[in-house]
Amino acid sequence: MNYSQSITRNHRTAFVLLIDGSGSMAETIRFRGRETTKAEAVAAVTNDLLFELLERARRHDGVRDYYDIALVRYSGDDEVTTLWPDGRELLSVAELAALEPRIRMETTEYRLPDGGVALRELPTPVWVEPHAAGQTPIYQALDKACELLARWTQRPENADSFPPVVFNITDGEATDCEEEELRNMARRLRSLRTSDGNVLLINIHIASGDPSRGLFLPTDEEADYPNRYARLLYDCSSAMPEAFTPVIRAAKGPGAMPPFRGMSYNASAAELVAILNIGSVSVKTE
Amino acid sequence: MTPTLNTFIRALMAPDLALTTLAAARAVPGGDGRPLLRRTTRFAEAEIEWQGSRYLLMLPLNEAAIPAAERALNAIGPLAEAAWLTRYRILPEELRWQDPAGEERRCDLVLHPLPAGYDFDEALLRTSPARLGEALRGLQTAMAAARIRHRDLCAANLRWCQDAWVLLRSYDACIGAEQSGAFDALHRHLAEAAEAQVRDTTATYDPAPAPTGYLWTGNRFEGLRCVQDKQGYGFVDNVNRLVIPTQYRWAGDFHEGRAEVETAEGMGLIDREGNYVLPPHFEIVDYDAPRSIVRARRDGRWEYYDYLGQPIREAVAEPVR
Repeated sequence: MNYSQSITRNHRTAFVLLIDGSGSMAETIRFRGRETTKAEAVAAVTNDLLFELLERARRHDGVRDYYDIALVRYSGDDEVTTLWPDGRELLSVAELAALEPRIRMETTEYRLPDGGVALRELPTPVWVEPHAAGQTPIYQALDKACELLARWTQRPENADSFPPVVFNITDGEATDCEEEELRNMARRLRSLRTSDGNVLLINIHIASGDPSRGLFLPTDEEADYPNRYARLLYDCSSAMPEAFTPVIRAAKGPGAMPPFRGMSYNASAAELVAILNIGSVSVKTE
Repeated sequence: MTPTLNTFIRALMAPDLALTTLAAARAVPGGDGRPLLRRTTRFAEAEIEWQGSRYLLMLPLNEAAIPAAERALNAIGPLAEAAWLTRYRILPEELRWQDPAGEERRCDLVLHPLPAGYDFDEALLRTSPARLGEALRGLQTAMAAARIRHRDLCAANLRWCQDAWVLLRSYDACIGAEQSGAFDALHRHLAEAAEAQVRDTTATYDPAPAPTGYLWTGNRFEGLRCVQDKQGYGFVDNVNRLVIPTQYRWAGDFHEGRAEVETAEGMGLIDREGNYVLPPHFEIVDYDAPRSIVRARRDGRWEYYDYLGQPIREAVAEPVR
């Protein structure tokens, strides 16, 4: 169990994206240097992640079927809903490539060498629109992920695959459970496994508060930022496997010491896909 | 830590803000107007135009990619005169980007020339399989004589240039024994393609090659190709006649007979004759061809227009996906 299996067409993996679409997502935060709603930030992080997953599978002969992807929104009256067409729970990445997302002009910030900032309107693919209405049933969303991945990991063809990765993109304000219940549900999800390792649960915390800059794969100390849900999400997140330690230290600086948690604060999840690619042979391609 | 592909594509769309040496480069757009990315084992790459030539610009996907490319440069260094091998440059700290914590970082990129010519499949349409096979044997002999191997010797890494095959992505080159197995596979590929070709018809579509004499030329869309000279951007037709003068600060490709343009006054939308469907008085014009709707921003307010440039008064709902 060492998270070393290559992700290939013969050894596919799965990514589950759980996105918070609750009413609290209408609140404003500072994200990527701009004032925006949490819902906009969640949509941006999700679209970035889908783009990253799609493009990392695009080879000269087309998009190779390296993984399945689930996209689930939780909101409304404790609703947990797949966002894929026709109620599909999982799409292969090749099926994702065939969806032809809407292209929207989005303002992108560039930091200049002199410290200034320049803005550009760039065409950006949009699979997920911002959404903010209703409750925050995180417990049920994790339960849904458990159900999906229990079936996925039990399939014989996936037995030796790199284990599935769950990204939960949220402000952390669960409305359908107590904190301890959420910790237990997260533990249940993380206990699912293939022969290569346990499911990785990565919480992407989109919230206001200090620090104003993003955090990525924090240590225990770093996760003590002043937000009431920071510690809970830290506890729910997977400890990053040792196999990734060298690359995480390279990313965070030589002073960073493990253990690191699979979590980020106001930062995109796409970097984690890049780190998987760097840190192991896990996204080595065939 | 290497940048994400999101970072790379954003740099390709604003090279003046994110790149150093290649600040004046322009990425070749795909069908949706964005640069088309493709990845290999070590790099993600996109086609760009810079100083009148085409290149593949490559982003390393892991920390080992650039050192491996440096080693390969050393291996192929003595073959500076070999026409069958492309030589690339490593551009140190070319890409400026910010990591998730907001720290500014720099990343080396690889600039790989893309010599004028055709990819494997297009070469099959233009040249006899016998000639292509003969040239393949020539390449095999040259590589064997130089004791050079290519770790990914396949059709995607060959380009047909001036009646010979040129080896692309030579960062995968190394010193080693002859690759008869890979060449055998390429010969089989040629033979199968030759077998599959329809021999009793003649292709009548023979588009003119990209015009010369411009600072930049785009791909042809709906029979019109965007070009740039010192006066600005305009369009040439199938036989490279300038049919819409080079007068715009920027121009997009034609989709459903409409193209977005930008002048000193602002952005607008033109038809195939160069007439304004929407005058260039907007901050942003975004034509949604599948829905035939124009979204335009003026004084910070978004307005919607139909295909003929008539205002749409009802709210236009964005599609839910």
